[in-house]
Amino acid sequence: MSIVPKETIEVIAQSVGIPTLPADVSAALAPDVEYRLREIMQEAIKCMRHAKRTVLTADDVDSALSLRNVEPVYGFASGDPLRFKRAVGHKDLFYIDDREVDFKEIIEAPLPKAPLDTAVVAHWLAIEGVQPAIPENPPIDAISAPTENKRTEHVKDDGLPVDIKLPVKHILSRELQMYFDKIAELTMSRSNTPIFREALVSLSKDSGLHPLVPYFSYFIADEVTRSLADLPVLFALMRVVQSLLRNPHVHIEPYLHQLMPSMITCIVAKRLGHRLSDNHWELRDFSANLVASVCRKYGHAYHNLQIRLTKTLINAFLDPHKALTQHYGAVQGISALGTSAVRLLLLPNLEPYMQLLDPELQLEKQTNEMKRKEAWRVYGALLCASGKCLYERLKLFPGLLSASTQPLLRSNKRVATNNPNKRKSSTDLSASQPPLKKMASDVLMSSMSSAATMAGNMPGSMDGFSTQLPNPSMMQASSSGQMADGIAAAGLIRRDQGGNQHAQMVSTVLRQAWKEDQDAGHLLASLHDVFGEAIFSFIQPPEISFFL
Amino acid sequence: MEDEEMEKKVQQYLHRKGFRLTELALQEERNRLSTTSLSDVSLSRSDNDPARYYDGYNKLRTWAYNSLDQYKHELLRVLYPVFIHCFMDLVAEGHTQEARSFFHTFREDHELMHSRDLQKLEGILSPLHLEEMDLARSLRENKFRIKLCEYSYELLLQYLQKTQALVMLGIINERIIFEVSAGQPSLISDDADVVALVGTSKDLAKQINQKEVHWGLLEDSVEERMEKALSDSDKTEAESKDADAEDNNKKKSSEGGKQGGPLKKLKKDKVVGATGKNNKSEASMVSAAPRVKPELTLPATPVEVEQSILEDLRNRAQLNNLALPSVSFYTFLNTHNGLNCSSISNDGSLVVGGFSDSSVKVWDMAKIGQPAKTSSSQGENGSSQGEHLSSTSEGKRPYTLFQGHSGPVYSAAFSPFGDFLLSSSSDSTIRLWSTKLNANLVCYKGHNYPVWDVQFSPVGHYFASASHDRTARIWSMDKIQPLRIMAGHLADVDCVQWHVNCNYIATGSSDKTVRLWDVQTGECIRMFIGHRSMVLSLAMSPDGRYMASGDEDGTIMMWDLSTGRCVSPLAGHNSCVWSLAFSCEGALLASGSADCTVKLWDVASSTKALKMDDTKAGSTNRLRLLKALPTKSTPVYNLRFSRRNLLFATGALSLGS
Repeated sequence: MSIVPKETIEVIAQSVGIPTLPADVSAALAPDVEYRLREIMQEAIKCMRHAKRTVLTADDVDSALSLRNVEPVYGFASGDPLRFKRAVGHKDLFYIDDREVDFKEIIEAPLPKAPLDTAVVAHWLAIEGVQPAIPENPPIDAISAPTENKRTEHVKDDGLPVDIKLPVKHILSRELQMYFDKIAELTMSRSNTPIFREALVSLSKDSGLHPLVPYFSYFIADEVTRSLADLPVLFALMRVVQSLLRNPHVHIEPYLHQLMPSMITCIVAKRLGHRLSDNHWELRDFSANLVASVCRKYGHAYHNLQIRLTKTLINAFLDPHKALTQHYGAVQGISALGTSAVRLLLLPNLEPYMQLLDPELQLEKQTNEMKRKEAWRVYGALLCASGKCLYERLKLFPGLLSASTQPLLRSNKRVATNNPNKRKSSTDLSASQPPLKKMASDVLMSSMSSAATMAGNMPGSMDGFSTQLPNPSMMQASSSGQMADGIAAAGLIRRDQGGNQHAQMVSTVLRQAWKEDQDAGHLLASLHDVFGEAIFSFIQPPEISFFL
Repeated sequence: MEDEEMEKKVQQYLHRKGFRLTELALQEERNRLSTTSLSDVSLSRSDNDPARYYDGYNKLRTWAYNSLDQYKHELLRVLYPVFIHCFMDLVAEGHTQEARSFFHTFREDHELMHSRDLQKLEGILSPLHLEEMDLARSLRENKFRIKLCEYSYELLLQYLQKTQALVMLGIINERIIFEVSAGQPSLISDDADVVALVGTSKDLAKQINQKEVHWGLLEDSVEERMEKALSDSDKTEAESKDADAEDNNKKKSSEGGKQGGPLKKLKKDKVVGATGKNNKSEASMVSAAPRVKPELTLPATPVEVEQSILEDLRNRAQLNNLALPSVSFYTFLNTHNGLNCSSISNDGSLVVGGFSDSSVKVWDMAKIGQPAKTSSSQGENGSSQGEHLSSTSEGKRPYTLFQGHSGPVYSAAFSPFGDFLLSSSSDSTIRLWSTKLNANLVCYKGHNYPVWDVQFSPVGHYFASASHDRTARIWSMDKIQPLRIMAGHLADVDCVQWHVNCNYIATGSSDKTVRLWDVQTGECIRMFIGHRSMVLSLAMSPDGRYMASGDEDGTIMMWDLSTGRCVSPLAGHNSCVWSLAFSCEGALLASGSADCTVKLWDVASSTKALKMDDTKAGSTNRLRLLKALPTKSTPVYNLRFSRRNLLFATGALSLGS
């Protein structure tokens, strides 16, 4: 009959001290209880409406009870929402989680902060029907506008006024137009001035820029394709993208499809900038990080975003006909996506690729200085990416080092045979090469190892790591030859340290013979195969902690 | 006895002949009959006391009127058939005298809906008449069909069983067929043919709406004089107009701070000045309305107030579907869910909030508006805290606190000139406060239950209140007793609004109807049926012809007062419509809702269409939504157009709810 079952009445009767309630009494009470409940709820809802609320609170029920001259139910403050818990074993039975409270705790607790007093503030919700883009107003949804425009009302023949909405142009206020023009001008011509930096701050903070986003995305896409030869402009454009991505008031998702190609272009384009001295490596790194941040932010919403990106990158990486600069970009792009991307995409292809890269690295095989320099860059990037991956793995499995014993032992011989070769080649290199080239390779090594220590210092923060990568030594590389010696020396010292490390490690490896996680062990071994001892600089920090 | 013997014989016959199936069927049928007759509690007519009809019906009626709002209209439907059958039974039994007195006692209930039938039935004086009259015969021969929802039906059965109301049960069993449907009760407006609420079947509600409504404006109002002056000045000094407008602008800028945001105003003033012609033609829509004499003695308007009104009227921004208003939004911060109502004075300089902790707080926006303006660029929170700090450091609150109520304050309203403030509370009192003296002047006690709404009349002095006790009352400031009590709603009166000419008030109720009452006679002269939920807000168009009402579901309905019909339902909001406001010349309707939007509707086009084709334009005609202005998670509590057509809105910031 009623939604209140008789059993409930019986239970309630028991709880107030009536052990056996006659069946007909509970049957008669049940419908009445339901009626009273409905009545109280009806009044409570009225109270809620008149308090201009849409959520019923315990206060409303109390005032409804007092309307009916019933004592209110005590103990339910409206301050915080009631916590209902599901009774174990029942699908739709709930109870209120009413914990016992220690009086002492309450008395000794510090006084809560006094709530702020009510205040009234005024703002313009609309000016002549148009909502100004100020923080007090919700961001204007430019996306919904087109759908509204599509709806046209049909002309009726009874002469009623009809409004046919024409395909309305997107109306941009004069202020926004000026803003856009100014930003565009700064980006194109004065990207190294302090005012451009201010502009970037404004782009990353100001609300109300949303209507400009389509214009910006078009502008960026357009300009990137047009000024591939102009490195400062490309850099400025990427900075604009970065600022827009950072702006919390901008809803950039719908425009990502326009921005992504431009960013990827800045990673894997064959040529960026027209002069030799242009440091396009830095731009590639910057854009790689940008793309990686996009993936982190929107990857969950667009599942194929990262897939498409990695596909593009890996294609660039695996195509031997592509330029080394493109390979470099692809490696950096993948490495920015995180160690798992590196492990899945780069490492399996590492060995064949190194065979491809090897001749380019050596002086006798590759005579073009430029090409060789590029090859060393790629080598460095690969080393860095895989080293970082290894570092992460080691951090995850501290026991992994010991696990790698067996394969390492096996490969040790090869290392021994391999290594002198390599070192010889590099020493040859340093001996015979003109200072510049020698410096380039050494600087690379040293920067790698310093980057590795860096990574040790701030593990997990990829941003810091990768932006550090093109560190000052790179810049100096092209400019000052004198610095080279010092850096090279540093590099050698590092290498020696690496050697020591190597020796130490072998001994530990000998001492502990475990046979787990062969896979991970293989990783180290194969990386060692490929890179030689340079890779050991990446396991330095945990190693040290291991021994101390 | 004969029947039983016969049955026995039949059964024996069937048995003998071997008609097994037929025999079974017969038995089954007999069983069913006997059970139904059991449940129907066969009526014993041995007791011949005619008073039992009276008592039974009276009790049933009282019960139905006091039932739950949600199911009430369904239960009330049952009353009419019971009523006429009680009457006819009485006549049939020969108690003519009792029948007549019974008929006259209760006929009022059904007068509104069934007056034609009642007039016919009234003539029945003897059992013979019952046979002769077509209507009575058909009524007695046919059964009423009434749709009920499950729970209503259950309630009715429970009542009948509990009270042992055998007479009523008999009539209901005999004369009414219930069509019980699962789920929620049907909506009043859905079935026009079925007898609905008292006085509210669709065609018959018309009868109440036959009464005359003088919806015109008051004669000799300030506006009218203003218009005359305008047209005069148009004729004589058309060329000096620009200079005049310029002058106004200067004056404007000097007193600009008063409106909270004067900058934009100046621009608009210029527009108005330039398009004086346009102004006149638009204003004629209002002026075309007929004039009526006031029924109340109206208070005199002070000269300086009149001057400022004239000033405002001259500087009014012209609004239509192309020129939308500026909206100034007052956001309440840190209300901790305690703000129940808010209201804005006519010039937008004062804002009042009524809180659930019984306090009433008034902010003078002209004073704090300026610092708030400058710091608002730094963001909402910063400015509010800054304000708060500065005020506490001076040891003064930024608002005036009025304390006196002993329960949540549900409504507050400023007098037209902003010098008085009314507040109503759940402690069933209304209090009058002076904003000049910052003190409580009068406490009006009269309602017995929480007062949901209170509104000043457009000329001040008088005010109307709406309460949980199902009445609306008219008061004047100088008397502590109500002048009129409007009773008739079947549930709480939730909102009240004055007609522009002060001769009528409109009330919206939880019984899902809106009623129009004559202030002088206290009679209900219009009933507007169509809402599907509790009516929360009302607004009258400035020309006095239309009324808008908003409900719990977010539907807004536009009513023509003279015909009592719905001009156009507006669907757009998806939550409670807390507030409605017409622009000063009636071209736009603004609605504020719990869905955190202010919406602007084009009134002019739809009403024009209606004038063009008065008979055809029914509910098919829709009001056009011009603009939806979303707020930042701030439900809109109140809206008001200033006399210069600047729209003010208030709301409490509710984050995380």
